[in-house]
Amino acid sequence: MSLDYVKFAPGFEKFMPKEYRDMVEHGPFGKKITVSQVGTFKEILEEHPMCAGCAMTLFIRLAMIAFPNPEDTITVGTAGCGRLAISQAAVPFVYGNYGDQNGVASGLSRGLRLRFGDQPKDVVVMAGDGGMADIGFAQTLHSWFRKEKFTTIMLDNEVYGNTGGQESGMTNRNQVLKMAPLGKKFEKMDMLGMAKVAGCAYVATVVPNNPRRVESVIKKAVLVAREIGPTYIQAYTSCNIEYAIPTDKVMEDAKTVETDRYKFSEYITDEAKEYLSQLYGYREYLPKPAAKMESK
Amino acid sequence: MYLVANIDAGICAATSCKLCTQYCPEANTILYDNEMGREQGLKYGSAYVAVDRCKGCAQCVWVCDNMAKHNAIKMEMIDQIGDTALTENVTYGEKTSRAVLANPVRGQ
Repeated sequence: MSLDYVKFAPGFEKFMPKEYRDMVEHGPFGKKITVSQVGTFKEILEEHPMCAGCAMTLFIRLAMIAFPNPEDTITVGTAGCGRLAISQAAVPFVYGNYGDQNGVASGLSRGLRLRFGDQPKDVVVMAGDGGMADIGFAQTLHSWFRKEKFTTIMLDNEVYGNTGGQESGMTNRNQVLKMAPLGKKFEKMDMLGMAKVAGCAYVATVVPNNPRRVESVIKKAVLVAREIGPTYIQAYTSCNIEYAIPTDKVMEDAKTVETDRYKFSEYITDEAKEYLSQLYGYREYLPKPAAKMESK
Repeated sequence: MYLVANIDAGICAATSCKLCTQYCPEANTILYDNEMGREQGLKYGSAYVAVDRCKGCAQCVWVCDNMAKHNAIKMEMIDQIGDTALTENVTYGEKTSRAVLANPVRGQ
């Protein structure tokens, strides 16, 4: 995982498929790419078998564009829809057994720090609500309590979409689903509250109907996880199949849900604020008098 | 036959909001050519669709109609769309991309 792994082996360039050549010559590796430039460079996400109009796919696409150093990033996932896209990208992907992803990422993150020292290597876990809040709940929480330095992103579609529509811990109370015909009997789990209690340095909720906000949140979370501690992003990524949302209304739904019950929120510790402002020039986190002086 | 998105470059190049490029769930499907509109005497470049990657969800249509309010994207049958962009004909340049248009059914 470095810029070298996306170069051509000598003499093989002419035999490589177009997508690979485009990735090496016009991909985001080693460059500063932003969401506003999409459509003019080769993205690290490739064609994938996710459903048409899937909001989760859109979020994954935006997240991958937002990685600060894609050439130094490893993604970790588990069973669920999301891994069908995450694994189809030009960054290494590790598939944890169901629920293992935060355990796998802990070892991976520690190993990379031993091997590469100060050179940043980012580990990003992307898994669904079932993999993270139900089956992988213990491993997720324990990785946070242990202050493992990597980013955890929940692709919260509020259902087991891959297996026919069972309720998950993140499904809303009273929600009726194909495999939950009487409606869910208890409240949606407060993973955000638990992330804060467990010591995450940066916690955010986001909906993919604001690509630049998604970009900003992902960048901050990955950067903070390099030095300060665990970070957690909870993204509403509707399942248009299980919730019967017409594909052309997926963004309308995202907008409604964001206004209604999934408002953008951001929690960041003072240590993380200082780190982002000092090392990466985030002026919004400069202490107030210093920010004033800087603007003069 | 099936529906794919088709962008009216004449409308797109007058405003160039690029929102559709950011909201498509498929990677490298709605692309952007900095020169496409300018060559026709319009103000900006234009977005265009690599139709072989389009799954026909029409999310871009909603975004263009309701968020940008430009109404530049329509869903059209793949065999009636005429010459259009295909992934194999797209080349990337410095902060732009360009497609040699081809018939999506015959592929040439």
